[in-house]
Amino acid sequence: MLGLVPSATLLGADGHAVTVEVHVTDGGLPSFSIVGLPDTSCREVRDRARAAIESSRLTWPVKRVTVNLAPPTVRKVGSGLDLAVAVALLVASGQLPAEAVAGKAFIGELGLDGRVRPVPGTVCLTEVLGDAALVLPVESTDEARLVGDRVLHPVHSLAEVVACARGEEPWPTAGSAGPLPEPPPLPDLADVRGQPMARYALEVAAAGGHHLLMLGPPGAGKTMLASRLPSLLPPLGPAEAIETTRIHSAGGFGLPPGGLVRVPPFRAPHHGASSVALVGGGTSLMRPGEISAATNGVLFLDELAEFSPHVLDALRQPLEEGVVRVARAAATVTFPARFLLVAAMNPCPCGHGGQPGGCRCTEGARLRYQRRLSGPLLDRFDLRVEVQRPRPDDLFGSEPGEASAVVAERVRQARELARARGVRSNAELPAGRLDDLAPLDDAATRLLLGALRSGRLSARGLHRVRRVVRTVADLAGHPGALGADHVALALSLRVDLAGATPHPESVAG
Amino acid sequence: MSEPARAQLAALAALAGLPALGPRRFLALVHHRSPLDAWALASAGDAAALARALGGDRDLDTLARSWRSAADGVDPLAVLAAHEAADVAVLAHPSVLAEPPSPPDGPRYPERLVDDPEPPAVLFARGGPVPAGPSVAIVGTRRCTGTGAGMARELGRELAAAGVHVISGLALGIDGAAHRGALDARSGHPDAASPIGVVGSGPDVAYPTRHRDLWEAVAAEGTLLSEAPLGARPAGWRFPCRNRLIAALADVVVVVESHAAGGSLHTVHEAIRRDVDVMAVPGSVRSPAAAGTNQLLAEGCPPVRDAGDVLVALGLVRGRRRRPVEHRPLPGPDAAAVLDALGWEPATFEHLAVRCGLGLAELAVALEELVAGGWVSQHGGWYEQRATA
Repeated sequence: MLGLVPSATLLGADGHAVTVEVHVTDGGLPSFSIVGLPDTSCREVRDRARAAIESSRLTWPVKRVTVNLAPPTVRKVGSGLDLAVAVALLVASGQLPAEAVAGKAFIGELGLDGRVRPVPGTVCLTEVLGDAALVLPVESTDEARLVGDRVLHPVHSLAEVVACARGEEPWPTAGSAGPLPEPPPLPDLADVRGQPMARYALEVAAAGGHHLLMLGPPGAGKTMLASRLPSLLPPLGPAEAIETTRIHSAGGFGLPPGGLVRVPPFRAPHHGASSVALVGGGTSLMRPGEISAATNGVLFLDELAEFSPHVLDALRQPLEEGVVRVARAAATVTFPARFLLVAAMNPCPCGHGGQPGGCRCTEGARLRYQRRLSGPLLDRFDLRVEVQRPRPDDLFGSEPGEASAVVAERVRQARELARARGVRSNAELPAGRLDDLAPLDDAATRLLLGALRSGRLSARGLHRVRRVVRTVADLAGHPGALGADHVALALSLRVDLAGATPHPESVAG
Repeated sequence: MSEPARAQLAALAALAGLPALGPRRFLALVHHRSPLDAWALASAGDAAALARALGGDRDLDTLARSWRSAADGVDPLAVLAAHEAADVAVLAHPSVLAEPPSPPDGPRYPERLVDDPEPPAVLFARGGPVPAGPSVAIVGTRRCTGTGAGMARELGRELAAAGVHVISGLALGIDGAAHRGALDARSGHPDAASPIGVVGSGPDVAYPTRHRDLWEAVAAEGTLLSEAPLGARPAGWRFPCRNRLIAALADVVVVVESHAAGGSLHTVHEAIRRDVDVMAVPGSVRSPAAAGTNQLLAEGCPPVRDAGDVLVALGLVRGRRRRPVEHRPLPGPDAAAVLDALGWEPATFEHLAVRCGLGLAELAVALEELVAGGWVSQHGGWYEQRATA
């Protein structure tokens, strides 16, 4: 006897449709074999399914059982096929009528007591199931509802599935989705006292999509500032929300109530992170990494210089292309990786550096510390600001700064101007169109030429600065030609790493 | 030079390359002993004999072993030949090697060091002979402020232009800036005084490597002196010895910026030991980089406000001249307010934004104007005032 049940498996952040075929025959000794490129956790389905079937007062056939997971060329990972295997086996062994499960797909992991558990990547799995009705764990209903209008049958246990299939009970259906619950409030910029330049840098980063590097001693509030950034970014659009939700679902990064990620994510991996944790991969799982989890949001790397240089250099290609391609012997997967990079570091090992004459580190130690960042990576930071500890007077008694909502409105308007230019944000303005889209007036040109001549700005840095100037002017409500004040402000948002460049008084000339 | 004298000189050059052979040990080794005998003793690895020669009762087993392994395979004459080939003069103290080893017009052992309480037994020199004219050592911290570096450069330039030889250690920070200044003066006026660099590694081993260009320029324009032979790596113990030479060669030691207990205070100590005048440039009492110099002033050191103060101390001029007025465009009203808010301590853009209450864009424009006009310098996001309005 044969049982055929559609299901799906996850590779990277993509679902792949799988047909679970179970063949049960009387010939030969009783056995159970599973074929079709299952990985170890998938192979363990035998023990889970057997216990779940027996716990549900059904019979495990003492026969020769063959399970085939078609197509056999796709690697099957994890436990999401458990429910489908159990149902197909019950059909093949004559305990369920085949027509009862026709037109239905099954996703879920089985517990030994027969309960049905959720699996990562429900959003991605649901997408590839055609128009089949989907039987799935109750906990996954919100996620499955995000993609398409299919019929959903949320179930608690295998016994419930069997009762419904036998017609003893009606199939449960998911009610229509209520309004999504309000996301909890994000940390607000009003909490930051003083620090006008750091606040402004956040605003420019949010408006123009410019990557930001904050330099400063411990306790200057760099982490606090960075965590305010999501509240300045516009909320995710429908397509962006689904894109980010898919990654969070597939990677098991956790989803908010309602299942849909609607606020820009903020990911802050520890500096001990491995390159796989950051960019994604793994041997068979092909899990998305932190940079993909930060898609459409913020990737915050605190203590940037403490990350392994090899890990940091892995960021360069995704930063350039907005996607990360992870290639392994078994498969190659592509994850989105379009994020705003915000990094923070001390200027030197002692942490007090930066201030001329104030640091205890030798010049060499400071240089070695800063050389951990490769030039190409450093180049990606259009905004580099020195963040100092706020003074006590600023912490007490002073007026709170502008609230996030006020700044976010300016950011939204600036982003609208960028969209009118055909890009998501000014950081993506093509270099060839800068003369059109970011023209400079005479004084502004003189200032930039001066910066180029003095070596403060490289030719490569010029384009990047011009994009920042565009954002600065947009925020100030100057849609036309860029003036010297915008250029001056953009240049002061781009400090050199002290120590990486010799002091101007100590070089020849 | 006679062959025996050459062999003795070669032995001195070879001895100078031994590890942990400071000036006191060197003098003890060649005391009443010819350099060749001293070389034989040092390379034999006999701890007991060494202990007798060096005095003291320390256990010298480790030292004897390290000297023997360092001397293994070293041919003193080849060492000397290498120095001659690289145009590095080997200068022996007259009491160590009686016969003048070089023709009278060639480089000579510096006069000032002959009667020093702790003279180097042998010196390696690149460039011209050590000049006899007035000389000033400009020393200070490697971790200096822009103000300090600017001051060192100005002193170096003006003293060299006034005919004073500038001595320094070619280190990062103040040292390097002082010599850059002296070289600035040379490029304008060929009759400005030549610089003297005193270094702690071999004369060919530029340290820090970032200052390679400065080493070459000092060697080309003036004199580069070292107690270490060609190829000697910079070792920690050599730098205090280098500081003593800087103090010994100078008429006046000027400390531009020094942290409390900084290395330049060692130079000061050596100068006081030799009765060389010490002067210090005052700094902000809040600047950690000026803590050492301000302490010197509190202890009665004469202050240096500009090169004029040093020239008076040298007796080269009677009274201080008025400084020539610098011509730079006067700052606009915004910029003047920013300059006022900046004061004389380093500040970031953000500090200034909070202090002077200007909008960020206006402040940015004002700072650009001040930097372009030479009023303010900017480095690593920190702004420092360089000139008064």
